[in-house]
Amino acid sequence: MDRRTFLNNIGLTVGGAAAATTMPVIGPSVAQAAVAPKGNIPSTPLKMGHMTFLTGPAAVLGEPSLKGHLLAAEEINAAGGILGKRKIETISADEQAGTDANVKELRRMKLSEKIDLFTGVISSGNTPALGPVAEELSLLTIFVDGCTDFLWDKAVPNPKYTFRITNIQSADGVTCALAAAQTWPKAKKIAHIHPDYSYGRNAFDHFMIAYSKLVPGAQVVSEGWPKLGTTDFTAHITKTISSQPDLIVSSVWGGDYVALYKQALRYGMFKDAKFASTIAFGVAPHAIGKDHPEGAIAGVHSNYYFTFPPGNRWPANKTFVEKYFKRWNEYPNFQSDGAYHTLYMYKTAIEKANRLVGGWPDEEAIISQLEGMYYETAAGYLYIRPDNHQGYKDAVTGFSKNVAEYPFQILDPATMITIPIRNITAPPNWPKPGQGHNDPTATYNWIKETWPQVT
Amino acid sequence: MNPAAHTEVSVTRTSIAAVAILIGLAVLPYVIDIYQVQLLTYGLIFAIAALGFNLLLGSTGLLSFGHSAYFGVGAYTVAFMVRDLGTVSMELCIIGGVIGTTIIAALFGYVCVRYTRIFFGILTLALSQVIWSLAFKFFWVTGGTDGIRVPGRGMTLLAGLIDFKGSGAFQKFVFSYYYYVLVIFAVVAALMWVIVHSPFGMALKAIRDNEVRARFVGLSVRRYRWFAFIISGAFTGLAGALWVPLNGLTTPDILYWPFSGEIVFMTVLGGFRTFTGPIVGAIAFNYLKTYAVASSAYWQLVLGVVLVVLVLVLPNGIIGTAQQLFRKLRRH
Repeated sequence: MDRRTFLNNIGLTVGGAAAATTMPVIGPSVAQAAVAPKGNIPSTPLKMGHMTFLTGPAAVLGEPSLKGHLLAAEEINAAGGILGKRKIETISADEQAGTDANVKELRRMKLSEKIDLFTGVISSGNTPALGPVAEELSLLTIFVDGCTDFLWDKAVPNPKYTFRITNIQSADGVTCALAAAQTWPKAKKIAHIHPDYSYGRNAFDHFMIAYSKLVPGAQVVSEGWPKLGTTDFTAHITKTISSQPDLIVSSVWGGDYVALYKQALRYGMFKDAKFASTIAFGVAPHAIGKDHPEGAIAGVHSNYYFTFPPGNRWPANKTFVEKYFKRWNEYPNFQSDGAYHTLYMYKTAIEKANRLVGGWPDEEAIISQLEGMYYETAAGYLYIRPDNHQGYKDAVTGFSKNVAEYPFQILDPATMITIPIRNITAPPNWPKPGQGHNDPTATYNWIKETWPQVT
Repeated sequence: MNPAAHTEVSVTRTSIAAVAILIGLAVLPYVIDIYQVQLLTYGLIFAIAALGFNLLLGSTGLLSFGHSAYFGVGAYTVAFMVRDLGTVSMELCIIGGVIGTTIIAALFGYVCVRYTRIFFGILTLALSQVIWSLAFKFFWVTGGTDGIRVPGRGMTLLAGLIDFKGSGAFQKFVFSYYYYVLVIFAVVAALMWVIVHSPFGMALKAIRDNEVRARFVGLSVRRYRWFAFIISGAFTGLAGALWVPLNGLTTPDILYWPFSGEIVFMTVLGGFRTFTGPIVGAIAFNYLKTYAVASSAYWQLVLGVVLVVLVLVLPNGIIGTAQQLFRKLRRH
């Protein structure tokens, strides 16, 4: 099979520009139309815990999660609260405190503060630690990110109380690989710079398995594994340059990435090689300067970028961006979208459960409504798979570009790449690691076994 | 009053006070909620680590900046036993953890005790970072920063007599584990008290106060320091082993040098010149950090300010200062 046929089969599309603005302005659908709640609803506030990076280099990617959450909470409270009665009170916690402290903080929130819902969490190093704790405490939890496959493959194989909104992590490396293979199919010498923890390892594995299916003869010429939270990348940059790669692939994120690209500019790292990142533009959009190299594949964790879909093509995005900008005077990132819609999905699940059973629904009822929910978010349709409680939406990535409208560099909506999620991630019930294979993830094994090798 | 009689009186007094405190601690879980019980369990475990650490600092005069290594080795040994050998008995885990730590402490100690002061400190720091980098870099063995999970409710206590199944398993586990840790803590604290007040402990103090004289008296300075190092490491390793199932997982964080710093912080906070100082310091530090993280995004700043105030205003720590105040009041 040749590459073009394969990419066509997989449904990779490059997004066209916005239509002329003569279209009528329509609002998002109103699935959550107000219906009078059934039964007696208590007026006690709903307590929520939201954990994200509020300090350190990861904050520039993580803090927008809290902003998205607060925006949704303020909107819901302004409308009288969930089921018109219960207002949301949020306690936030800094994920930067470290995994052990985060575990303690989650227990404190549940046992001492008696929260009803736990959300947030950015790092893939934390969800596999917090997921089992949430299950242990029978605490309804919707992770905004921390999207490692490992959470459902190993740490919590049969989730009951835990859910997750952002795309599964394996999709991130695969999306980046497909975009790179389509854009620069002649790049064979690949250099990698990834943070040294589960996310970086996951991005490396899935990029390589997918890319080598599409580009025969692709080989790794350099690997750099900086520690998460590193601010000096000199050694990794010079090592990368000296390996003379065709393509540099990176999953360094947040403030780490801002430091990396600025230092790489000084060494001319982007001059002789193409650059593809899974998550470069995952930070709050204003964190990327106009000095960032244009034309790079600058991923958004395969989730969402605020310029896409452009114009009024997807009104849910337009209204979300407007509301977010009005509240925070900045543009949202994929965490803002995730956290904002997490709360609305929770609200919707409660309303649905209330219509069925009346009164304030218990957790079992809320969970049953969240399972299999299909919801309109700013990023597109989001589907919660019942078997693993994972959210799936079509994966996106794009190319960096400077435009006059924004004081920072953006992803060009005219060339955004969208890939149907079911074509790049393992289907339900595909064997997990340890069930007949020892590959890093189910998706890795699925790609290895079922994708054709392009010749 | 001759010195011997004085010691006897203080032994009786100490025992009475200790028993009273232990009874108080035993009643506490019926008064406070499960979250506080959990916090206190953490505190008691850290207290064991700090007690071990203070055998080097307080008694021997050696400032180790690498005690994270022994805490971490204890923790990781248990994690490996649970994950790879399927061990569920907490007693076996403790034995394994303490043996593992003792071996590492004996090895590292053998190298470190050849030096004193800053050289000793740097060497302990460097060696601990070797262990840290192994845990951090061998992703496929140790899970890297993801660490290894050891769910407490999967363990059994007292050779399988107590296990945790069904709903509320976590709460049941915390409740039982608190008493488990409390008993171990009491035994270990008594043991340390005996060590410190034994001829061996006196020899350590002699070495601390004047190395040259100690050598002239005929003490083998290096060997004494080595033994102290091993005991200190083993105590800290025991704490690490106890900590894993409570925490639910172990990550390289507890091998990294800031955690060594936290052990120093605990000890200084309580007062390293007293026996009970590290115990009080560890429990207080655990509360301080937990509530600082919970209440403010600037929790590092809170801890930093506390440390500065401590050094400037309370150089003798909580217990040291309390004793001074007590003595002053008595004199009046």
